[in-house]
Amino acid sequence: MKAKNILGIIAIGTAFLFSLTFWGCKPDDFQKLPQRDWQLVWSDEFDGAAGESPDASKWVPDLGTGQNGWGNQELQVYTDKSENLSTDGQGNLVITALRSGNSFTSARIKTQGLFAQQYGRFEARLKTPYGPGVWPAFWMLGSNIETVSWPQCGEIDIMELRGQEPHIIHGTIHGPGYSGGNPITKGHALINARFDTDYHIFAIEWDAEKIDFFVDDYLYQRIERGDVPGEWVYDQPFFMILNVAVGGNYVGFPTDQTPFPQKMIVDYVRVYQEAN
Amino acid sequence: MIMMIYNRLLKYAPAGMLVFLMLGCERELNELEPVTYPTNPEVFINGFSPGLNYAAFGGSVPTAFDVDNQVTYNSISTTSMRFEVPDAGDPRGAYAGGTFFTEVGRDLSGYDALTFWAKASQAANIDVLGFGNDLGASTYQTSISGLAVTTNWQKYIIPIPDPSKLTAERGMFFYSEGPENGRGYTFWIDELKFEKLGTVAYPQFSILNGEDQVETSFVGVSKAIGGLSSTFNLPSGINRTVNIGSAYFEFSSSNESIATVNAAGLVTVVGGPGSAVITATVGGVPVKGSLTIQSVGDFQSAPVPTRDPAKVISLFSDAYTNVPVDYYNGYWAPFQTTLSADFDVNGDHVLNYTDFNFVGIQFSSPTVDASAMTHLHVDIYLPNTLTANAAFKIELVDNGTGGTGSFTTNIPVAQSRQWISLDIPFTNFAGLSNRAKLFQVIFVDDNDRIPSFYADNVYLYNAGGGQPTAPTTAAPTPTHPAAGVISVFSNAYTSIPGTDLNPNWGQATVVSQLSIQGNNTLKYTGLNYQGIQLGSPQNVSALGFLHLDFWTANSSSLKVYLISTGPVETPVTLSVPTSGWTSIDIPLSSFSPVNLSDVIQLKFDGNGDIFLDNIYFRN
Repeated sequence: MKAKNILGIIAIGTAFLFSLTFWGCKPDDFQKLPQRDWQLVWSDEFDGAAGESPDASKWVPDLGTGQNGWGNQELQVYTDKSENLSTDGQGNLVITALRSGNSFTSARIKTQGLFAQQYGRFEARLKTPYGPGVWPAFWMLGSNIETVSWPQCGEIDIMELRGQEPHIIHGTIHGPGYSGGNPITKGHALINARFDTDYHIFAIEWDAEKIDFFVDDYLYQRIERGDVPGEWVYDQPFFMILNVAVGGNYVGFPTDQTPFPQKMIVDYVRVYQEAN
Repeated sequence: MIMMIYNRLLKYAPAGMLVFLMLGCERELNELEPVTYPTNPEVFINGFSPGLNYAAFGGSVPTAFDVDNQVTYNSISTTSMRFEVPDAGDPRGAYAGGTFFTEVGRDLSGYDALTFWAKASQAANIDVLGFGNDLGASTYQTSISGLAVTTNWQKYIIPIPDPSKLTAERGMFFYSEGPENGRGYTFWIDELKFEKLGTVAYPQFSILNGEDQVETSFVGVSKAIGGLSSTFNLPSGINRTVNIGSAYFEFSSSNESIATVNAAGLVTVVGGPGSAVITATVGGVPVKGSLTIQSVGDFQSAPVPTRDPAKVISLFSDAYTNVPVDYYNGYWAPFQTTLSADFDVNGDHVLNYTDFNFVGIQFSSPTVDASAMTHLHVDIYLPNTLTANAAFKIELVDNGTGGTGSFTTNIPVAQSRQWISLDIPFTNFAGLSNRAKLFQVIFVDDNDRIPSFYADNVYLYNAGGGQPTAPTTAAPTPTHPAAGVISVFSNAYTSIPGTDLNPNWGQATVVSQLSIQGNNTLKYTGLNYQGIQLGSPQNVSALGFLHLDFWTANSSSLKVYLISTGPVETPVTLSVPTSGWTSIDIPLSSFSPVNLSDVIQLKFDGNGDIFLDNIYFRN
């Protein structure tokens, strides 16, 4: 509300004076969520020097092409070269997708084996890349993926974006019976703005009963235990993943018109637990 | 671990659009009142918006545009704009084109794009669509070229390059489209309006298509800065480039004593030698692309031909009477891009081929019988710096039984921006079996490295009795400013004092000097090897090149060495024999690992009789 007031004042023309009144501030127009005290338990502010790799005590890179393009027919080869993956010296991690002819390189990092948590608030502040066939994501997988495999382990996609729709992000969960092309998902679109031109905060708040999806602290999706058509597999620790894919089932192929290089610029990733 | 409290006391955000009501106060407006124009964004929704007029362009079908009450982009819209593109040869006009404009300007500064829905009776690329054409100065004309449309309705976006300029725009929309493959078709446009999208991102303005061009030029030459555009990322994530007028840009020259640029982007070379960089800004932000003018001062003419006119058939030269020529540029469709911008300086006519890919000179009435001739001569000059060695191909075409002969010469990087005299024996034109009915000379940019060139003195001649054994003309006079030169041997500069041009290193070479057209020239007769002992060790590490002019008719091997204390020496191979004088600027890095801060000697080895001039280091 504070921000909206400022915008309103700027919008006033010079030749006239306006008296400005906000109407329609009925309770229904605002979200009132229960008060919570979040305690920060894990974060990476990405304060490394320009060209440095991300902190190896927090992140491990995935390399190569995975199986079948990481299960999605993705085109890119993941590397840990600084041209694809490095801090920028200005407090950001930059994942860069590069084109060389018809081949692509990019990067994907995860906290698997280093950090995982059950429940809490997981958030990242970032600017997405853009362009047809470019597929950035901030997401999580259940830590038991090595033993029960996907989708039994569960997947929580805090932010996914199709580069041909840079104004829409999607929050999604995949689990047994509702995965791949048939997950529980919802999009959130910006009016007259895009997710690649400014930083936005993407978060989930997750407890035993539900997972809430937020953009800039606006709740756009709540998925409750009873909403899933299969098993609720979100009562165990999950680890986090950041990546920029190129091509793949979800987003389609890049075209000759897709601008490259494409960068996802991550200001921070923070994880909270609720204080008792 | 740092413990930080994220405390959400009251977390809320608007669920939808906030509604806010603005009440005007009762203040009188009797003070300064800026002229304001209507901000109506609508151009054509269900008919002409208020004040909108239409005019067809000259030569177009006047009735190409009409209002269509049947075909609309959705069920709500009642009318659309229909454009009928004529077949080729339609007597009513060659194309469909016109502009929609208002009598009173509109303030479009609050919008960021012109948008519309379009479809066509067949897939097509519409030549030009845009806004800002007011049938007058069209100051802020903006357009897209070759817009692909399909048989389905789709929404299209033309971004406004700089909305702050459009406070009184009269040109709402214009179009121009010719037949596709000779056939006409129909396209429709609906819901044509200006919008504030907020999702058009990353504007990038460019001049010269975003390239940093370097061009050698001369006093008096003018050139318009072209390739003006702005590229935006559309809401679909792809980029769109719009072609825009010069009024969006502020141009400037880094050195107005060398070259000036006016508000329209016209560059005029006014002085030299020296260089000036032409750049531009939009709203104070530098744009991509620049033009570096390297003025050599007054025009440097090609060497004046000295062949006996009785043994010459000239196609283009001020030194001879030329035979009848059909054209010097055939503009051969559809693949030729080469344009002509010929000029003359003080009566010296010069062919100037720009946007070069290939170009032909034709002389068919009558054809030329060159049976008694032995060589083709042409002087060429590449005003742009080469990025790598260029392959310049020349083809000779016989209209009888001789077929087509081709010859490709390699032009080293160092030979750009100077006249290159080519004397090519007809025997070198592979595939030319006779030359009784020659009718075309074709120049080809064989490896895409020559964007433009000048040509002069295109003639066929009879060399009459074999090759000359000594140059008849002096080496080209150097033009590099003396301040950046350390000279070993040249009439144009002061040489290093105490230099010994013939130190006794046990060589067999006979060294002499002779005057050619009044210019002192160094001659090595019977070269095996030959040194030059500099008068003092030279620090040339701040300089870039070793310059040499050399001439030989009979050498098959020639190398030049730099030597530093040690001795440390490195050779660079020179291309021999030469056709006329060869001028070369060898990057000093080629002599690595010679210590450039301590150069004590030069050395040549090889064979034959060598003429040398203008040996100097330069930056």
